[in-house]
Amino acid sequence: MNILTMLWNNLRGGSRTMLFPARPKETKGFRGLVRFDPALCTGCAICKMRCTSRAIEFKTGKGIFTWSYDPGQCTFCGRCVEGCKTHALSQDAECPPVYTTIGELKQSYDVVRKPTPKPAAATTQAAAAAPAPAANPAPGGAQ
Amino acid sequence: MNLTTALARLLIFPGLLFAVPAAWFFLWAERKAVALMQGRIGPPFMQPFYDFIKLLGKSTPPRGGIAGMLMKLWPLLAVSAAAGAVGLLPVLPSSGGFEGDLILLLALLELPSMCIIAAGFSSRSIFGEIGSAREAVLSVAYNVVFLLAIVSIAASQHTFRLEALAQLPASPLRWLGVIAILICLPAKLHINPFSLPNAEQEIYSGPMTEYAGPELAMWELSHGLEWVAATGLVATLAAPYIGIWWLAILVFLALSCLVVLLLSVVAAATARLAIDTTVRFYWQVTLIFAVLAVSSALFMRLRS
Amino acid sequence: MNLWTKLMCYSRRRSPWLFHMNGGSCNGCDIELIASLTPRYDAEQLGVRLEGSPRHADILCVTGPITHNAVNAITTVYGQVCGPKAVIAIGSCPATTNVFIDSRTLAGPLSKHLPVDVFVPGCPPRPDAIIQGVAKAAEILAERAAKKQPIAPVVMPLVGPGCGDACACSCAAPVVPEASAVKATANPAAPTASEVKL
Repeated sequence: MNILTMLWNNLRGGSRTMLFPARPKETKGFRGLVRFDPALCTGCAICKMRCTSRAIEFKTGKGIFTWSYDPGQCTFCGRCVEGCKTHALSQDAECPPVYTTIGELKQSYDVVRKPTPKPAAATTQAAAAAPAPAANPAPGGAQ
Repeated sequence: MNLTTALARLLIFPGLLFAVPAAWFFLWAERKAVALMQGRIGPPFMQPFYDFIKLLGKSTPPRGGIAGMLMKLWPLLAVSAAAGAVGLLPVLPSSGGFEGDLILLLALLELPSMCIIAAGFSSRSIFGEIGSAREAVLSVAYNVVFLLAIVSIAASQHTFRLEALAQLPASPLRWLGVIAILICLPAKLHINPFSLPNAEQEIYSGPMTEYAGPELAMWELSHGLEWVAATGLVATLAAPYIGIWWLAILVFLALSCLVVLLLSVVAAATARLAIDTTVRFYWQVTLIFAVLAVSSALFMRLRS
Repeated sequence: MNLWTKLMCYSRRRSPWLFHMNGGSCNGCDIELIASLTPRYDAEQLGVRLEGSPRHADILCVTGPITHNAVNAITTVYGQVCGPKAVIAIGSCPATTNVFIDSRTLAGPLSKHLPVDVFVPGCPPRPDAIIQGVAKAAEILAERAAKKQPIAPVVMPLVGPGCGDACACSCAAPVVPEASAVKATANPAAPTASEVKL
């Protein structure tokens, strides 16, 4: 009679259904849509190389590059986020929405390349750093 | 029973005008009760009506020849038989009837399942054939109990008139018959645990595989009307004689809803049985009921 | 719009019947589709029924990147679904073949073979996302009823006489341009969760 007890408990306890269009909240570690921060991106394209499903596209131009991402192609593995050195990519706990045309969800960003540091500052830094190793006696002998 | 009474019973109450909304209501009630017992919400109230209207608007595959004509015929035959069966039920106290209308009721109740079997074969699809074969075996299995129960009730009271049977005082044999009919109802209405002809993942909807659009709408309607007829039969046999007409209608409706709820509990609590288990179950039950029913019928006949 | 068309429109939105086909998927999306029928998500509250025969269904739900083995089956079944019909591509695989993009066994994304109406992205999509996709497809069917678009005829038998892979007859199901006609006039509003008014 176990099944009858279960049925009775279900009848008494009410349904555990979420009424449409309510959706359950995503948990904290949920791997959802990938977010891109153009301010932090250096254009190394490691994310494009690591992407398992070629959802990330990277095109370079003169001093400017285009980074695009298609959530419809994405498999939400998170390899791009892991590989980004400057943490420009992050994964939101958000599901991709339903769409009706292919490529509708694709996002493109045009990012201007940041200028690299000038060589003059580098030589003074190298000169300042040179005496330091000579001053300290190398504990392991000659390198 | 004159022509106007007959037409009123067939078309108005408890005929088509009452039976079709009642069919949709019972279909919804069963789905909703099963859903609530499974911890879900289930479909909204008008769902069978929306399904019906939507099916009327779909196209059907082109079918040629005699098989095509036959395939169009079976659902219409099933709907008219089920509607006729509902119209024969003696709900109102003095609605008349005729000698032998019990036999007509049994025949009309049998016709929809014959139509399902024929439909599966005329659809020329292998899934249809398998489903029809299963339905045929199921029909043979439960009909023995069903017919035995009803015929023994009738024979013990010396009458084959439905109205007379409904108005008689309750006897143990009548309750036995009602229980026997209740045991047969899950198989007749294709719900768990005897829902074999509808086994979706196994045989792709069985006999209904090739049906679409308005024909499928007619099949769903005939299924709902079968619900009304079968539960109505139990309700009229189980209800005591009530002289006031509106009270009789209320009691009929209440008892029918009770039977629907009982069948929903059975459907929610069990899983589908395989064909050999089903047949074995019914023929074992048959044996018990056969002995009980025939012996008590003879006993009462000898006593009276 | 007269009363019957309004009623038909409303009924098509409230009664979406599904048929599910697996086009070579990993079964993740199939499991989530079945999960959407469980008590927590309960697709039946929208009138959804998972049907056993393609003839009964309105909406064909396809999962998986379409492998070479699956193409014939899927196009045949699409021809067998009775109009008016809609197609949902569940998961990222049928939309864009996802991670299997370079595989030799694939015959391309689903839109190469069938007119797809709704894409439900995700790997796998959550059951509530699938239900949203089904609701959107039901809306599309209702819109088509409102616009009185012609219903495509059904041509495919369910089990063709001796139909196999080596079929030389014209068994290729006609790809009906229903979806493309709708896409031209489709709602260009934001694809974020469309709250369907019940």
